[in-house]
Amino acid sequence: MISIIRQFHFIIIVFSIIAFSNNAFSQKYLGLEIELLELTDANVTALTPNELFDDVWVKPNVSVPNLGNSNTWIWARLNLDPVKDAGLHVEIAYATIDSLQVFMVCDGVTISDQLVGVNNTNNRNRLNIGNYPSFLIPSIDCSNLTCYIRAWSGKQLLLPVRIVSSEKILSDGHVRDVLFAIYLGIVMSLLLYNLFLFFSVKDKNYLHYVLFIIAIGGTQLVLNGYDRVFHLVSIPWISLRMTHIFGILGGVLTILFSRNFLHLKKNAPFYDKLFGLLYIPYFVATLLLVLGFYNTSYDLINFSALSIIILIPASIKVWRSGDVSAGYFLVGWSVFIIAVVIFALKDFGIIPYNEATIYALPMGSAIELVVLSLALGSRINQLKKDSELAKEKELNTSLLNEKIQREQNVKLEQNVEERTSELTKTNASLSETLQNLRSTQEQLIQSEKLASIGQLTAGIAHELNNPINYVSSSAVSLKRDFIDVKEILSLIVNLDPNSESLKESIESVKSKLLELDISFTVSEIDELLEGVEDGAQRTAEIVRGLRIFSRMDGNQEIKANINELLSSTLIILRSNLKHVVDVDVDLSENLPDINCQPGKLNQVFMNIITNAAHATTDTDLKRSERSVKVSTRVVTTDNVEVIQVEISDNGVGMSKETQAQIFIPFFTTKEVGKGTGLGLSIVQGILEDHDAKVEISSTMGEGTIFILSFPT
Amino acid sequence: MINVLYLDDEEHNLTSFRAAFRRDFTVFVTTEPSEALSILKDHPIEVVISDQKMPSISGVEFFELIMPDYPNPVRMLLTGHADIDAVIDAINKGRIYKYISKPWNEAELRKLVEEASYLYKTRTESEAQATDYSIKLYSSQEKLAVLSKDLASCDELSVDSRKAYSQRIDELIEMLEVPKML
Repeated sequence: MISIIRQFHFIIIVFSIIAFSNNAFSQKYLGLEIELLELTDANVTALTPNELFDDVWVKPNVSVPNLGNSNTWIWARLNLDPVKDAGLHVEIAYATIDSLQVFMVCDGVTISDQLVGVNNTNNRNRLNIGNYPSFLIPSIDCSNLTCYIRAWSGKQLLLPVRIVSSEKILSDGHVRDVLFAIYLGIVMSLLLYNLFLFFSVKDKNYLHYVLFIIAIGGTQLVLNGYDRVFHLVSIPWISLRMTHIFGILGGVLTILFSRNFLHLKKNAPFYDKLFGLLYIPYFVATLLLVLGFYNTSYDLINFSALSIIILIPASIKVWRSGDVSAGYFLVGWSVFIIAVVIFALKDFGIIPYNEATIYALPMGSAIELVVLSLALGSRINQLKKDSELAKEKELNTSLLNEKIQREQNVKLEQNVEERTSELTKTNASLSETLQNLRSTQEQLIQSEKLASIGQLTAGIAHELNNPINYVSSSAVSLKRDFIDVKEILSLIVNLDPNSESLKESIESVKSKLLELDISFTVSEIDELLEGVEDGAQRTAEIVRGLRIFSRMDGNQEIKANINELLSSTLIILRSNLKHVVDVDVDLSENLPDINCQPGKLNQVFMNIITNAAHATTDTDLKRSERSVKVSTRVVTTDNVEVIQVEISDNGVGMSKETQAQIFIPFFTTKEVGKGTGLGLSIVQGILEDHDAKVEISSTMGEGTIFILSFPT
Repeated sequence: MINVLYLDDEEHNLTSFRAAFRRDFTVFVTTEPSEALSILKDHPIEVVISDQKMPSISGVEFFELIMPDYPNPVRMLLTGHADIDAVIDAINKGRIYKYISKPWNEAELRKLVEEASYLYKTRTESEAQATDYSIKLYSSQEKLAVLSKDLASCDELSVDSRKAYSQRIDELIEMLEVPKML
């Protein structure tokens, strides 16, 4: 803030020097000598002094009469000294009078009638210099020389009138031009500077500010009449409205610039809304202006302009909230408002009307523009600082983020590790379960095997025990029979042909023969021997069958004949099936040997044949009506030779659903505990190992046919 | 001599059985259950031995078949191998006396047959005695009934004493009913 004040010192000093040290500004206006016409209905339409009737003239008693802002023509008159004033000029030091007509009347005769204003740009004034209209006082001999002034303006109208020499007009004009040039220079440099900043910084505040500068500068240009000097606008319609236009533009851009610069929306929403409302009177003023209500529009513009006072509390509020640039803003606007107040006070004659007070406004506005530039500069610095802070904050945030991320990564890694170990554990338990399952399956297969072995043992025990029984029993009986035979033989051997008792002895042998029933004994011996022979043969057969069958666990492939395998299986099964069914066997004689695992194939045959036999027991058929057939044959189709084993029964048969499931492990139609349901699934596995195909055809109530095809 | 019937589907078993025991018992052998039935009908068989596993009928089934008509012959099951179910059935359904496994021990089998025959004799003798007693009881009852009639027509006794005697006789008849029920 101190630096702001220091910067202002210089400007204020310059302003003071210009305002008070220059003698040229201590002007004398002839307000006390001017008479103003009191308007009446009779003379309101008068166009020349001659048309004025019942005219009453009043002295305003101020150095510069203020005629207010009314849509009427006003009349003023000034008595001139024809001698002293000849060759001098009547200067009306007010640039914004839209229509100004000056009549020189010599003893009641109008000798000159000059019109200047928006409608007469070509004939501005004689000297055609400076920004104020001036009129030559003619050198004429008359007793009373009066200057009549007829004027109209679409805005405030003042009549600062002087009688000065052309030299004075010129010199004063030069001073004004120079001063205005300085002002314009300041404005232009600020304009270009901020325009440049706008293009480099791309901050819309600068654009607003540039437009604001244009509006303010333009206003001063128009107020001081330089628009007309430079012939900026040749269209009267616009020319008439230039002051208003710049007034509206200035107001609107002030609102726009202030709202954005102070960030009112964020910092002071109440003021923001208030400023938003201010667009409305400016809009109305624009409408009025377009429609030609110049004075009403002008009043409205001035009234709205008063609202810039609001900027003071608004900027204080923002400044207090810590925005240094709002301080500059506050100072700038304060200066301007002071200038405006001085300008207005001068118009109402409260303070002297002189060049200094006239220039208060451009002065103030110049200072304001400079200070606002400083405000923007400080804004840049602040933005820079802010952005650096933001960058630092961002850096901090990103560092923090990085840290968090690193921590999270560590956590994540930990999680992954935990998960991995969990998964490993799960995997381990799964593989354990799998192993358990496998071992269970193996156990089941083993128990299935054991069950069939148990079944076999029972059968084989019976099969073996029968021949063993009668062989061993026969041996004992034979021994006993031979004792009888030996007894007879010894009797016969002891017969002495020379003995006298031979006849008697023979008789006793004969009786012994009868007693011992030797003829029966002999036939019995034959029978028993037959039994022994038969028993030995049967035992051998069973043992051979067992030998073939017992290759069950051997996984080696060897050449074997399927007929032989079937026969051995049937021997093993004989006792088990004896009371169930008679198995018809029809084996093809010229069956080639095939490479196979005989033990496993025996398991297959036993399983299917046993199933077939059981299927017949589940019917109402008597034993003699039941039938299981086993046959083999060689079939050649498409030059491919296969061995077919057909096992058929006339049992209960299977439904389509059952047929579809028989090879599924653990599927069984038997009661719980009667079967594991593994038999046929094992069979399928074995057959697949042998590249054998299985065809099943079954009808409920009629029976089932299994056809196994083995490649040769 | 003890009459023994042996049923087995195996011819050689029959031969060796007959050879072993023909000197001790009167042996009847057959492979056919129907023939076995006719033998039972024609001869006073004391001991029936049957194989368990036969094609047409099991030993237990055969015993069940003959029990209603021939309850007295003592039954024995002779088999090469039997599972526990068959043994349970043999005891519960076939009411067998003994279970013998093949190959048989001749001496043991002989002893068992003799024991069975003794059992048969005891069974039939006690039955005969029971029949004898019941006949005697029946005749006693009849005699008592006659006595009761005679008593009713006897005028020499008073009405009261006649009544008392008659009551006493009725009681005796009633008492004799019990063994008759056996």
